[in-house]
Amino acid sequence: MSVAHGFWTVLALACLIWYSTVTFLVAYRGVIDIRSMLARLRRGQTSEGEDGLNRE
Amino acid sequence: MSNFSWVDGSIVGVYLLATMTAGIMVRKYVGRVETFLVAGREMNVYLGIASLAATEFGIVTCMYTAQNGFDKGFAGATPGILCGLAYFVVGRTGFCIEPMRRAGVMTLPEMFEKRFGPSVRWLSGLVIIISGLLNMGIYLRMGGEFLIAVSGISGKGHTLEIMMSLLLISVAAYTILGGMLSVLVTDFLQFVVMSAGLIVVTILIIAHVGWGTLLSAVESHYGAGGFNPFVNPDMGWSFVVFNSFVVTACVLTHQPVIQRVLSAKDVQTGRKVFTWTSFFFVCRFVIPGIWGIAALASLPAGVVGERTQQAMPLYLGSILPMGVMGILVAAMLAADMSTDSSYLLAYGSVIYNDLLAPLRRRVNMTERQGIRWNRLIVAALGVFFLFYGLWYPLKGSVWSYLTITATIGFASMTTLLVSCCYWKRANNWGAAGAIVAGAVIPLAYLVLELAPATRELALRIGPNWSGIAAFLGSGVAMVVGTLLKPGQKTAKEAKA
Repeated sequence: MSVAHGFWTVLALACLIWYSTVTFLVAYRGVIDIRSMLARLRRGQTSEGEDGLNRE
Repeated sequence: MSNFSWVDGSIVGVYLLATMTAGIMVRKYVGRVETFLVAGREMNVYLGIASLAATEFGIVTCMYTAQNGFDKGFAGATPGILCGLAYFVVGRTGFCIEPMRRAGVMTLPEMFEKRFGPSVRWLSGLVIIISGLLNMGIYLRMGGEFLIAVSGISGKGHTLEIMMSLLLISVAAYTILGGMLSVLVTDFLQFVVMSAGLIVVTILIIAHVGWGTLLSAVESHYGAGGFNPFVNPDMGWSFVVFNSFVVTACVLTHQPVIQRVLSAKDVQTGRKVFTWTSFFFVCRFVIPGIWGIAALASLPAGVVGERTQQAMPLYLGSILPMGVMGILVAAMLAADMSTDSSYLLAYGSVIYNDLLAPLRRRVNMTERQGIRWNRLIVAALGVFFLFYGLWYPLKGSVWSYLTITATIGFASMTTLLVSCCYWKRANNWGAAGAIVAGAVIPLAYLVLELAPATRELALRIGPNWSGIAAFLGSGVAMVVGTLLKPGQKTAKEAKA
């Protein structure tokens, strides 16, 4: 196998391994991120509503 | 003959139902324009990785990267390696994206206004929109063509128009209602479905064709040029240099990309998203490139003809078994929907935030009116993309078309951004010159290429040299324009 063949073989293998690993990691941690993002937005909406009531 | 069956249809149906429901459900959190456009700047790292990766991989990406594999062999994945490097370096150093995120803006032109004034903001918005509309104009068509080819549906009558309309409606529904928030949540689901599909199909293809056969096919068709871009007659130094400029500019100034930095909850999160997603951009070219090479190795000569972007879907339609076909179609739908929704929102945000800025200042819109305007703009953009996709006669390399149209905005926006962040003396004369030079050169090339009388000349110049000229011309115009403006002193000189 030439250097060029070897380079693309290693790169293709690295892509498959890296991509599979990251997909699992992001699938798990992404759910946590979405939950915390929505929780923060919910809190923001509530405090905005309270501010509005206080102003009134 | 395609293997698309009711099992595959069910997989696609479940995916569509899940993603649409999730996208529409989060609309209740959208009460402010900032939430609609940048998700209230609450995005964290892993959601950012999913969103950036899903946004930057659509059916059109899969088509042109596979076409690169079919036409150029492994060397066709060179832009992916350059892109991965650019993301890594920018993420690690925070070059430009750090001051951009600190500025607290929603779009790039908004940042330019602080330095170069409202006229430059408006002009920047205009070139971003012209470049973006021309660039994204072919996405819906490519998506429709891919789905028709791979699922084996007859392309006669109005099948393409119906497929494109269905794609658009499904994307527009949740983007219009939930903006960036819906885009982020659906991007996450779409990333998981898309990645699972890409990995499964790639492993099946390699098992089906054999890695040795793929290497031999490239060797026999393209020789050393199939592995090394510098000796490939269709690529060479000009291709590598131009693509380095384009991918770096894309990382720094492409509105759908930087919207992820601007939506990040802080600067560090934005930088981590870029650094950790960088290798995805190598996979983004290598994986579909393998699919294109498999088509090259397997399809009989003459089946594809000049429309080489059709080779990969034709090949996949003929080899994938029942069940896997459904996974592939769901994955590609996921990829396309995430890209289309993000792009619609990104360009909509520039129209609202920058092109309509003078109007907004006069009218003094409420948050509710602002959200309504944004929704209307996204809907109008969707209709434009539908008609443009049907009308534009795309020929030749899709990647070349995309890089040239992107350069209209990329060349000048990169010059402006770097000057805005790191050159204290840069002024509005230089900025205006850079915008004009960066837009006129690639637009002139596109016109030369379309007109039959000048087509030959355009082919002789080639897209690479025209693109390099746009980037260099824009930089020179910035320097010359800045130096020509009378009475300009840096802060240091003024003090002295």
